[in-house]
Amino acid sequence: MTETSEPIDVTRAVEVIGASMVFNDGTPARVAALNDVDLVVETGDFVSLIGPSGCGKSTLLRLIANLLDPTAGDVRVNGKPAAQARLDQDYGMAFQKSGLFEWRTAAKNIELPLELKGWDKRLRAERVGEMLDLVKLPDRGSNMPWELSGGQQQRIAIARALASHPPLLLMDEPFGALDEMTREHMQSELLQICAATHTTVVFVTHSIPEAVYLSDRVVVMSAGPGRITDTIDVELGGTRNEDTREKDAFYGKITEVREALRGSEMTGEARGIEDR
Amino acid sequence: MTASGVVKRVGSPLLFGVAFLGVWELIVMAFDIAPFTLPAPSAIWSAFIERFDQVLEETLVTGKNALIGFLLGIVFGVLMSLLTVRFVGVESLLTPLAVAVNAIPIVVIVPILNNMLFGTTSQVPRRLMVMLIVFFVVFINVSKGLRQVSATHLELMRSYAATPWEILLKVRAPNAVGYLFTAMRIAAPLAVITAFVAEYFGGVQSGLATGVRNSLNGSKDVTWAYVIGASVLGLTFYLVSSGLERLHGGKQNSG
Ligand SMILES: Nc1ncnc2c1ncn2[C@@H]1O[C@H](COP(=O)(O)OP(=O)(O)OP(=O)(O)O)[C@@H](O)[C@H]1O
Ligand SMILES: [Mg+2]
Repeated sequence: MTETSEPIDVTRAVEVIGASMVFNDGTPARVAALNDVDLVVETGDFVSLIGPSGCGKSTLLRLIANLLDPTAGDVRVNGKPAAQARLDQDYGMAFQKSGLFEWRTAAKNIELPLELKGWDKRLRAERVGEMLDLVKLPDRGSNMPWELSGGQQQRIAIARALASHPPLLLMDEPFGALDEMTREHMQSELLQICAATHTTVVFVTHSIPEAVYLSDRVVVMSAGPGRITDTIDVELGGTRNEDTREKDAFYGKITEVREALRGSEMTGEARGIEDR
Repeated sequence: MTASGVVKRVGSPLLFGVAFLGVWELIVMAFDIAPFTLPAPSAIWSAFIERFDQVLEETLVTGKNALIGFLLGIVFGVLMSLLTVRFVGVESLLTPLAVAVNAIPIVVIVPILNNMLFGTTSQVPRRLMVMLIVFFVVFINVSKGLRQVSATHLELMRSYAATPWEILLKVRAPNAVGYLFTAMRIAAPLAVITAFVAEYFGGVQSGLATGVRNSLNGSKDVTWAYVIGASVLGLTFYLVSSGLERLHGGKQNSG
């Protein structure tokens, strides 16, 4: 008799079940980066991961991307095992460092995932044009990365992540290196792009206002070992714009997330003491 | 670079060179030094003009050896580094081998090759020596370029489900191009020096070093005329290769 696993809801973009990640197990450098983490992201959701440095946000994102294999537990993306989802290129990825290939023009950078997916040359050119329009850089396709500002580079990186129509976008502090003005501008653009393309997003950030402004849900994590301590529904409505940032409800949510973060650090300390 | 920049960069060394030659000439005149010991620059120059055809011929022989060895060394160095980075097993085999071979003062292999394999009528041993020297410089630098790729780039390629060959062609190889140009700049003067030194170890009676050696018994102005040929050859190799590197670097970083 085979044990049948629970029926997987196909509408779930991401399902992390009891995932743990231990680095360098069995050596003095052992790090329990994640301990028994459960996370569900419904299709179409925008979910942010926030928490103190070293709490395992990037690690969790890498598990979803199948750049790392969990030491325990299970990760599913679009109802498939994470490894299969990666092979099917079910997600696009963007990092804090834009990670543009410096020997390729902006257009060629956007084109790379399509090239690797074996798209026809004409289709590729068409798609690159669309993506450049989407990120509002229609004339910069022939520029080399160093000829673009930090914000423009990041837009090209987002265009590249979205080029092959992935249903899921994984972002690790993509606006972390940008100045405040550019950052807020890019946040609004990201929301528009995701609404237009119906993309599910998992977004790692250090900024509470950024998490609140962008997300349907904010997942609060804490360190030692990394785990999820709280999940806050933001409920600011579907259409958000610069006015949203002025609203009382916005500030209310910021306070809520801040308190959840503080609380998670307190329990983190408390547990640290208990464990000894 | 601006025109005045060029004048500054080229002007001062040129001025220094002229002054140096002037002092040299004066010292030879003032102390009446015999041309057998140290010829004056003017004497060297007239010997150079007088024997221009001969000097040119020997320069071309040495230059051809250096160039052929240089190009072969680049081809084999690039191929070998591509192979080792693709098949990690080959690397663990080859790197110790490369270190071991590199530790042999390889110009001493020339007489062995001369006697055993090619006889004394062949330029091949000299070219092989140049090739070996250039090979190591290229192999070590290009391997570094193929390996030192950004972790973000590798993660991106993994997220695109790229195969090892695709990663090699689209990330590692482009990343190593700059390293190849650097290796060429380092290896070019070495190629000339090796081609020159290899002639000292016997073989065919042609080339710049042979010219130097055969003229040592007579008046030294002829010897120095060959030295002029050697300097011009080395400088040409260096200028061309560093020019190529600069051209490539300029394409990457300007704007
Ligand atoms: N490849 C690795 N090898 C060993 N330890 C690692 C590795 N990657 C992450 N870690 C450790 O796992 C823990 C979580 O790291 P992670 O990068 O996920 O944190 P983070 O929440 O993203 O932090 P930050 O906000 O600073 O980016 C850290 O203690 C880190 O040192
Ligand atoms: Mg991180």
